Amino acid sequence: MPAPDAALAPRPDAALVLEGVTAGYGGDPAVRDATVVVRQGEVVGLVGPNGSGKTTLVRVASRALRPVAGRVAVAGEDPYRLSSKQAARLVAVVPQDVVPAFSYTALEVVMMGRTPYLSRWGGGAPRDWARVREAMVATSVQHLADRPVEELSGGERRRVILAQALAQDAQVLLLDEPTTHLDVRHVMDLLSVVRGLAEREGTAVVAILHDLNLAAVTCDRLIALDRGRVVADGPPERVVTHDLLRAVYGVEGEVVPDHVTGRPSVHLGPPRAVPAPLGRRAHVIGGAGRGAPILRRLSEAGFDVTAGVLHQTDSDAVVAERLNLLRVTVPPFSEIDQASEDECRAMIRRADLLVVCDAPYGPGNLANLRLAVEAARAGVRTILLEQVPMAERDFTGGRASELWNELREVAEVVGSYDQVTVG
Amino acid sequence: MIAPNRYRRTLLLLAGALAASFLIAVAVGAVWISPWTSVRLIAWKLGISARPSSVPHSAEVILFQLRLPRVALAAVVGAALAASGTVFQGLFRNPLADPAIIGVSSGAALGAIAVIVFVGSGALGAFAVPLAAFAGALLTAFLVYRLARIGPAVHVATLLLAGIAVAAAISSVMSLVMSFSGEQIRDIYAWLLGGLVGQGWQSIGAIVPLVALGVLAAGLTAHDLNLLSLGEERAAQLGVEVDRLKRRSIAVGALLAACAVSMAGVIGFVGLMTPHLLRLFVGADHRRLLPAVLLAGPILLILADLVARTALAPQELPVGVVTALLGAPFFLYLLRREGRRARARA
Repeated sequence: MPAPDAALAPRPDAALVLEGVTAGYGGDPAVRDATVVVRQGEVVGLVGPNGSGKTTLVRVASRALRPVAGRVAVAGEDPYRLSSKQAARLVAVVPQDVVPAFSYTALEVVMMGRTPYLSRWGGGAPRDWARVREAMVATSVQHLADRPVEELSGGERRRVILAQALAQDAQVLLLDEPTTHLDVRHVMDLLSVVRGLAEREGTAVVAILHDLNLAAVTCDRLIALDRGRVVADGPPERVVTHDLLRAVYGVEGEVVPDHVTGRPSVHLGPPRAVPAPLGRRAHVIGGAGRGAPILRRLSEAGFDVTAGVLHQTDSDAVVAERLNLLRVTVPPFSEIDQASEDECRAMIRRADLLVVCDAPYGPGNLANLRLAVEAARAGVRTILLEQVPMAERDFTGGRASELWNELREVAEVVGSYDQVTVG
Repeated sequence: MIAPNRYRRTLLLLAGALAASFLIAVAVGAVWISPWTSVRLIAWKLGISARPSSVPHSAEVILFQLRLPRVALAAVVGAALAASGTVFQGLFRNPLADPAIIGVSSGAALGAIAVIVFVGSGALGAFAVPLAAFAGALLTAFLVYRLARIGPAVHVATLLLAGIAVAAAISSVMSLVMSFSGEQIRDIYAWLLGGLVGQGWQSIGAIVPLVALGVLAAGLTAHDLNLLSLGEERAAQLGVEVDRLKRRSIAVGALLAACAVSMAGVIGFVGLMTPHLLRLFVGADHRRLLPAVLLAGPILLILADLVARTALAPQELPVGVVTALLGAPFFLYLLRREGRRARARA
């Protein structure tokens, strides 16, 4: 992960500057020494697990929580020295949910966004009503104008509150999880509105987003927080990484550039109930994706699964990594070296079950078959998966077939994944 | 939001109803004075027309010395209570707030009684009792607000409990004060139950500017109270100086309640019912609600007083008893509904 960019000195186009901010409630600060600079027209996503200090940071920026240490500047001004009205012209916030204590219509609620521009009796000038109308059209809530907001759905109310914030005409827009309660279409609409605002009006946008893929495609820059500290700050592809998932969120996942957008895209495995460990080990010899279903099945069944020897970019290797399995790998297209072979041999020796898959075998992985024969002869229970005939996948000029036939005599042979019984 | 036309029509309707209830209340009593006679006599007093010749002198005396001051007082007190309730409901973000329910009226009464018992009501001029009532109301309002607030929210249960606890403490102090009162105890007791009897034009004249001041100040908080109903943090984000607004609202609500209490004792539920009912007709916007309750509060109290003095004539009921009979079921209905809403939100 890239280190936070310490050289981000206040620039003339910095709309929001949080410098060395420490803030929180009580003795244990929720944000420590965080520095965040957002320029005009920039859309910045705040990511990080629950409790990492994202909302606290937004509250500091929105003048709701005075930091214990550090500096806050919005358009060059310290919001904590401004009146509420002056500050509200600079910063607008979209909070998570707002339900008024009394029954106000959507139009009334959006009009409240014009408060910083109204006099005390504030009926609203034609300009104010025009802004309100624009904001309601932008978030497609104009048809809800006369409906009481407490009767709206969560998503509709969300958009009404967004319209309220838009009507504020502020230079900085802070959004606290703006997409919760919204269906996919309204998520895209909302984020398009926000992007348009940044691009056309030069509004600086900071959004707390939980969906990393959405954050990566929406934001110009991402800032990751972990336990109150900024741990990454940069373009999405430098922030949303395998390491971020593992170190900050504690999950295994694959991050690949999206085919279309080029932005990082996160793929997580389906959630599974954690199986009761059987205390039994299984080793899988796969390759070319032939081992993946077995790896999954055995892991789910509670086996302590190991894999190898695999080539690093092989899809079985990727699956083994995602399942966080102990594995032996060698560089792509290289032959299995002696050290890896020895390592794998030791692994297989500890296994109670060996599954040999019908992968293509060539000079690069022929050693795997030698290891299998060795283990089967030594008495390890061995299952041979033979869905594809050996003749079609022998790229060694017959040596692989010889070893395979040798294996057939000592191992159980099955014709499909379903027949690999693990009992 | 309702259309401006409909709002104007509602206000006109309320103004008409106020005029009608005024004339009816003035007409009914041991001696019937027809509305037409009243109108002609008032016009004469205001120098608009000559004295109607057929009207006996006794009717003139009853109208100007007994009925009109009483009905006028009911109107002023009703307006003050309704405005106070509106401000407190906005401040507490809770439709169950009412100066009597949250103990503020008791606080005002304690202040007033302390002055009456220890100093004498006339000794410090016409403003002594209202000022003491104001001080008592202000202290109570601050106290209840601090007690009722847990974190960012004022929950129904804590609000009611804080009000009950504070009111109970105040009533015990009040009993203590009254034990020093000797002969006055009967009068004080009658006043405590809420009475619009025995106030002359002079004291009404003294209280009207204070009520007007309170209403004006309430008007100045109206828009910000709208935003406060979104929560304190949201209101601040939208440009409201929340702490200043809260201090002002407490002061305004207390002042209006104190005016009402110093003139007519503790009258409950007018401040509860009026804003609540009017919200159904004019919406929740405090800028629209306030003018409407200033018309509706007087109607409610004038009619309640009419019932109080005619229902068991020649005996009079305390008007506070009548408003409580009306208001208590209303309150229970609201309480149940709020409970259901709270559960639905959870």
